[in-house]
Amino acid sequence: MKILVCMKQVPQKDAPLKLNEGGTWIREDISYEVNEPDAYALEEALRQREKHGGEVVVITSGPPRAQQVLREALAKGADRAIHLEGDGFVTLDAFNTAKAFAAAIKDESFDLIFTGLQSDDYGFAQTGVILAELLGWPHATIIMQIEKSDSGIRVKRELEAGFFQFVDMPLPALLTIQSGINKLRYATLIGIKQAKNKPLKKVSFDEVKLALGENLQRIEKLYIPQKTKKTEVLQGPPGEIAKKLVDKLRNELRVI
Amino acid sequence: MACALRLSQLIDDHNAKHPDAPLTKENIYLLEKAREVGAHCLSGALLDPRSMRELLPGFEKEAPLDAAVVKEAVYFLTRTGKLKFPITPPAMRDHGNYVISINKFVKWLGSKVEEAGITVFTGFAGSELLFDSGRVVGVRTDDKGVDKNGERKSNFEPGYDLKAKVVILAEGTRGSLTKQLIGRFQLDKERNPQTYGVGVKELWELPAGRVALGEVIYTMGYPLTFHEYGGAWIYGAKDNLVSLGFVTGLDYRDPRLDPHRVLQEFKKHPFIAKLLEGGKMVRYGAKSLPYGGWWCIPPLAGDGWMVLGDSAGFLNSQRLKGIHLAIKSGMLAAETAFDGMVKNDFSLGLLETFQDRVEKSWIKTELWPVRNFHQGFESGLVAGAFHAGIQQFTGGRGLHAHYTNEAGHRRMEPLKRLPADGGPEAYIIGPAKGDGKLTFDKLTDVYYSGTKHEEDQPAHLVIHDTNICNERCVTEYGNPCKNFCPANVYEMVEAADTPSGLQIHLNASNCVHCKTCDIMDPYEIITWVPPEGGGGPNYDGM
Repeated sequence: MKILVCMKQVPQKDAPLKLNEGGTWIREDISYEVNEPDAYALEEALRQREKHGGEVVVITSGPPRAQQVLREALAKGADRAIHLEGDGFVTLDAFNTAKAFAAAIKDESFDLIFTGLQSDDYGFAQTGVILAELLGWPHATIIMQIEKSDSGIRVKRELEAGFFQFVDMPLPALLTIQSGINKLRYATLIGIKQAKNKPLKKVSFDEVKLALGENLQRIEKLYIPQKTKKTEVLQGPPGEIAKKLVDKLRNELRVI
Repeated sequence: MACALRLSQLIDDHNAKHPDAPLTKENIYLLEKAREVGAHCLSGALLDPRSMRELLPGFEKEAPLDAAVVKEAVYFLTRTGKLKFPITPPAMRDHGNYVISINKFVKWLGSKVEEAGITVFTGFAGSELLFDSGRVVGVRTDDKGVDKNGERKSNFEPGYDLKAKVVILAEGTRGSLTKQLIGRFQLDKERNPQTYGVGVKELWELPAGRVALGEVIYTMGYPLTFHEYGGAWIYGAKDNLVSLGFVTGLDYRDPRLDPHRVLQEFKKHPFIAKLLEGGKMVRYGAKSLPYGGWWCIPPLAGDGWMVLGDSAGFLNSQRLKGIHLAIKSGMLAAETAFDGMVKNDFSLGLLETFQDRVEKSWIKTELWPVRNFHQGFESGLVAGAFHAGIQQFTGGRGLHAHYTNEAGHRRMEPLKRLPADGGPEAYIIGPAKGDGKLTFDKLTDVYYSGTKHEEDQPAHLVIHDTNICNERCVTEYGNPCKNFCPANVYEMVEAADTPSGLQIHLNASNCVHCKTCDIMDPYEIITWVPPEGGGGPNYDGM
């Protein structure tokens, strides 16, 4: 099976975030890491390849620093990588990012595309499903298990409250992978060394520009939530506290 | 990183001159236990640019520097007041130095090293040195995927034995491999025992104009008393960030003293509280530093190895600066290794030329005059000032040609010899409570260090005999580990089956890798070993 894994570099979970000057996004001078569900998507692709043979290709878009994500994936065992490199990709919404990916892989023929369920930064959970739509492929989300079947694949989806759904799908298909589907492997020293010589194709913004349209989503303003809740401790003998409490509930909050 | 970069430069030069006999960088590997280069680096930091100008002339144009130092002041703090030194002591004059974030700086150097074609293995710790009859022949990296009982998990990945002609140790203060090496070959023989301090740091974002960009403030005195050695720094960095920290000498006498509490009390001093008012703490961390000086430095090279930077103890204790010396010693080690590559000779004789290179370099010129500086303070601040004064006029000699000192942890006094209420140190013993604005308890601060470890792994703080903790130490010293650890790793919890009713409990995943426990434990039963590679603090911007 030939599998493409879409990966994203996101701010490290505990990075000290600061707003940029325009208040539209955060400042970039922080540490980054692989988006968590994408790491599981990669692991699942590597496991499928180990079972059924084939090729694992990883793709990301973003500034030069995002290449780190691809390097790590190659070190863990991906065969080759595609980097849509440039600051132009940073401001794209999910719709345009999916269009850019579709344009970059138009000459390839994948059996499966995996993305993480959603990104840890924006959390839109859109790029994967839009990409499936653009390619005219079926998709399934929140995947916890993938088995090859005679006619394609059988996948297990995680629903609410401990319920699961099993779906049979034809190939090619796009799946968005849930964190925890498998246990992540470690990159090995030999893997890191070999990764240096694996093919990493760069695609510039200009090469896919024609495929893109207007952004349909835009962040107007990002701000740190104002604390509005406050705790008040009523003091005094129990009788008095009860009176004060009733007074507050009745006259201030008007709930009784 | 400086060592790797220098080696790469020398190889490039060589290959340009001798295209017929090129040297390869293929087999030069750099192990970094952090997930990302620079993530475990913490310092004030002020950079003396001397060695960087030698390594990368014109580095100022591209390196991440916050600012050149524009003004400096030194204060002596009393409980509520402050006395400004009329003139800044020469060692604390910092014009010509730069305020930097060592995290950003090392990250940048790391990118240079990778661009130069040297392989950096991030997330791999050196867990053991490999020996072959008295020669160091390589390093074993850490096993990954081992659970807390020592059993292999499904993703187990064994460590590698990396065989090498030469192993260069640049692990920072109290390196775990350096410790193995010093122990095995008794490299501390005929040396003064190394003495250390622990720097506890917070990064603050302050209202604009409070501390100028490039402003440097040092304080001595409060909250420490005449019994302890230490002081604070405040550096004005970019974006209204201020680096603020307190170094407490790890040779204090009261086992209840808490270096994290010292920083919190320091911030409550009216002078500092006013400076920080309306600001916000954004990052926290701690790291030990070696300030024993020249007489503590072990042999720098032996059969198959070299040791440099803070691991060797290259720090100017009078100026409290070591970054420039770490870089310079790295460059000299690289020159030695390069010499070995050209001659294909990594014999003891060749590697020992590293020692000569250091002795002939400005490292010695800088460290020799302050060789007796820190020892003078062993009996307190007053005696220290006296000795430092005499040394000033005798080229660093002072009253003795070679001042000696005791290892810091041996100066700790048992509880029974100390006042029950703490006496003059009453306000710096025990944990800080924290008000959540100006001061913080340890757990809150640790959260801001970004520390993360795989939870299911063996504890990387190895206590060789916990009976000592649960019995002797409870009564003799009152378990100083829970006080000196700036990350709340050590806790004494109630237990039914120990005579004291208390039992040691480790929160190993809080560890910020400062090594204070390995240094300061009075029974010397704690050994810090590297956890699974990639774990540890994330000192973004520190």
